[in-house]
Amino acid sequence: MAKKVPEDGYKDIFSCNPATLLVMDIDAPSYTILDVNEAYLNATNSTRESLVGKSVFGAFPANPTDEVSKNIERTIFSFEQAIQTKKPHTMYNYRYDIPIRGTDEFEERWWTTTNIPILNEEGEVAYFIHSPTNVTELYKLAEREKAGVEALKQQRAQLLSFFMQAPVGIAILRGPGHIVELINPTLTGIYGKTVDEMLGQPLFDVLPHIKGLGFEELLDEVRQTGVPFKGEGYPAPMLRNGTMETVYFNFVYEPFREIDGSISGVIAVAIDVTEQVNARKQVEDAEERARLAIDAVGLGIFDLDLLTGEMITSKLFANIFGFAEPVPRPEYVKVFHPDDMAARVQAHIEAPATGRLFYEARVIWPDKSIHWVRVEGKVYHNAGGTAIRILGTLLDITDQKAAKEALAASEQLLGNITSAAPACLWMSDEEGAVTYINQTWTDWTGKPFEDHLGMGWINSIVPEDREKTAEKFINDCAARRFYEAEYRIDHVDGTQRWCAANGRPHYDKNGAFAGYIGACVDITEQKHLQQQKDDFIAIASHELKTPVTSIKAYTQVVEKMLQRKGETKEAAMIGKMDAQINRLTSLIGDLLDVTKINSGKLQFNDQEFDFNSLVDELLEDLQRTTLKHTIEKKIGATAIVFGDRDRIGQVITNLITNAIKYSPDANKIIVHSRPKNGEITLCVEDFGIGIAKENIDKVFEQFYRVSGEMQHTFPGLGLGLYISSEIIKREGGRIWVTSEQGRGSTFCFALPLRKN
Amino acid sequence: MEKNKTIMIADDDPAILDAVGILLEFEGYDVKGSPNGAELLKMNTEFPDLVLLDIWMSGSDGRDICRHLKNNPRTSKIPVLLISASKDIEHSALEAGADDFLEKPFDMTVLLDKIESQFRKSHNAA
Repeated sequence: MAKKVPEDGYKDIFSCNPATLLVMDIDAPSYTILDVNEAYLNATNSTRESLVGKSVFGAFPANPTDEVSKNIERTIFSFEQAIQTKKPHTMYNYRYDIPIRGTDEFEERWWTTTNIPILNEEGEVAYFIHSPTNVTELYKLAEREKAGVEALKQQRAQLLSFFMQAPVGIAILRGPGHIVELINPTLTGIYGKTVDEMLGQPLFDVLPHIKGLGFEELLDEVRQTGVPFKGEGYPAPMLRNGTMETVYFNFVYEPFREIDGSISGVIAVAIDVTEQVNARKQVEDAEERARLAIDAVGLGIFDLDLLTGEMITSKLFANIFGFAEPVPRPEYVKVFHPDDMAARVQAHIEAPATGRLFYEARVIWPDKSIHWVRVEGKVYHNAGGTAIRILGTLLDITDQKAAKEALAASEQLLGNITSAAPACLWMSDEEGAVTYINQTWTDWTGKPFEDHLGMGWINSIVPEDREKTAEKFINDCAARRFYEAEYRIDHVDGTQRWCAANGRPHYDKNGAFAGYIGACVDITEQKHLQQQKDDFIAIASHELKTPVTSIKAYTQVVEKMLQRKGETKEAAMIGKMDAQINRLTSLIGDLLDVTKINSGKLQFNDQEFDFNSLVDELLEDLQRTTLKHTIEKKIGATAIVFGDRDRIGQVITNLITNAIKYSPDANKIIVHSRPKNGEITLCVEDFGIGIAKENIDKVFEQFYRVSGEMQHTFPGLGLGLYISSEIIKREGGRIWVTSEQGRGSTFCFALPLRKN
Repeated sequence: MEKNKTIMIADDDPAILDAVGILLEFEGYDVKGSPNGAELLKMNTEFPDLVLLDIWMSGSDGRDICRHLKNNPRTSKIPVLLISASKDIEHSALEAGADDFLEKPFDMTVLLDKIESQFRKSHNAA
């Protein structure tokens, strides 16, 4: 028979139970403590007397360290649950501090309490056991664990954040399918994708354009061997914003190891170095172009180390020296022409100070031919300021030198010719400023070259001619006209000399006016001869006039006497003689006028006069000189002209007498006149022999006469039209002719009307 | 019958003195000739009615003689025609006080017209 626990033994079991036990009545809300065991008293630092028979809430007031806690409410709730459900109810992990005996201090305690209902025979809850367990240690442990997990979570978040924001592209590619397990936006950005498009996808499915370029094999090898791979400047096509671009990468493939050391994938780290690669390529391209350019212009290159004396040269450099391939520096030095050695040494001495090496020298080729070279270099200094290196170029300038020498020779020749020339030669720029004048001019004027530059030359002209000459030159230059002038200069020998200058406009190769090239000759002798001739003619014609006057007087007396005697026939003969004397008078007058024109002494007695009355007067007289021709008048309104009435009359007379003279077979002459546009125009139209086209420009020239095999020979000195044109020009008018050979001519002039 | 008018001609060319003299006498004038005009400066009585005066004469200038005549109250009324081979001199001739100017060689009808015109003027003035 099995031994049994004695009836009162349970009392001991209760008392000695290590679990803390408190027996309570169900008399809510008081919940009176019915019994308590030793363990409980120990755990709560209480005494039996302070507890039994008291309400549990009186014995254990609200927690002093946790006034706002809901411990009382939670406890009541737990009690009620246990009573109502008749099942044990547990409250987990709540804090209720207990006083430390003998002090006012409390000790932190965490509890897990079970309230166990005890049923009577009727199945009703009679009382219940309240059994708190001190879980302080356990609770604290759990709290520490929780904090550890939190810290881990935070670390992980930081890592992820770092990973996602890293300036380098990072991805974990798992397995043989290269599944993108993790990828940061930097890398998807390089790929031209988003993270969502790539996560969980096989890499080469998302980026089909990099398939088959060797990346698969590289990844597989790293995964299979565990040996990392490092690539620099790898090109790969990438689709970005719809266009395919070549992107260059620096990248590292690292094996991704599991905890057990096995390799399950690859960590790829990549940087886009496209810009750097492109920049480097541009530099390389630029270098290449520079090299090509240097070759193209035939420049040899050298790099001279001043410390060692060693020199690196290009092939072309060697070729210019007559060598097939580059040779050491002393070989080059040897072939310099001995006469140029000093200049070369001097250039090298000066170079470190000026920072620049420059000289030209001859080199002698193995075949003994001589070539000119030009050396140019830049000197480089170290931090201490010592010249350490010269980089430079070499150019074969043999042809240039030859051309220059030829030019210098031809310039010398030209210089000799121009200074030897008896004429002065000059040049001006497009503004008319004289830029060159030869020695002849400086010899004449006795002033140095510089004094004549610009408009300086004008000061050598005598004051009376200066203004007129300057004005003419400036006007001709502005109009880009052929320039022609005569003036006197103060010669160095103290005399005045006459000069005839001319200048031809010249144009540069683009057709732009570039100034004048001109000459100027001493015409003093001619002027003297001309003067002598003019003087002679003046005197001669004056002297001629005197006998003509008496002949005329005698003739007319005789004519009158014969008429009075009734000897008409003889009188008529004398009359004809008088007409011949008139012709002679007219010729003498013309000669005198030309002389005056040439010496600028043709005088004008300008005054206002009525043009038509002059014309009427003259036509009446002229009609009397011809029996054959009728002079028809087609005269418009009259006008007041300011000019020399006699001289203008002389012109009209000249035109009409010419018309009569050169139309021997015609019977009329038409004189037209009318004012128009501020001018009065008069035209004399004849139906005579006309003027050949080639001569039409010459009719107003001095001594021009109508002549030729087919023509009659007409008498006259050829001065009339010249005098007429000079008169009209001096009066400010124009004179011209239209003509058709065999049909007749029309001579016209126009004079400005008096201004109101 | 009215007394003939007297015309004094001064010209250093004897042919002109002769020819113009014949012509004027033929036209009914009394003519006196002078080879240089010196008589014109000396005369005190028997003044001519008109003077034909050449400007360029050897030894004298017709314009000076003209000025002398025009400055003398007794002779200032006598018409003076200055004559020259140069028309350019006309202006200075008129400045010297000449009543008219004639360029050599001249037409005799022009000469006679100018003479008669002067006589008409002095007749009207008188």
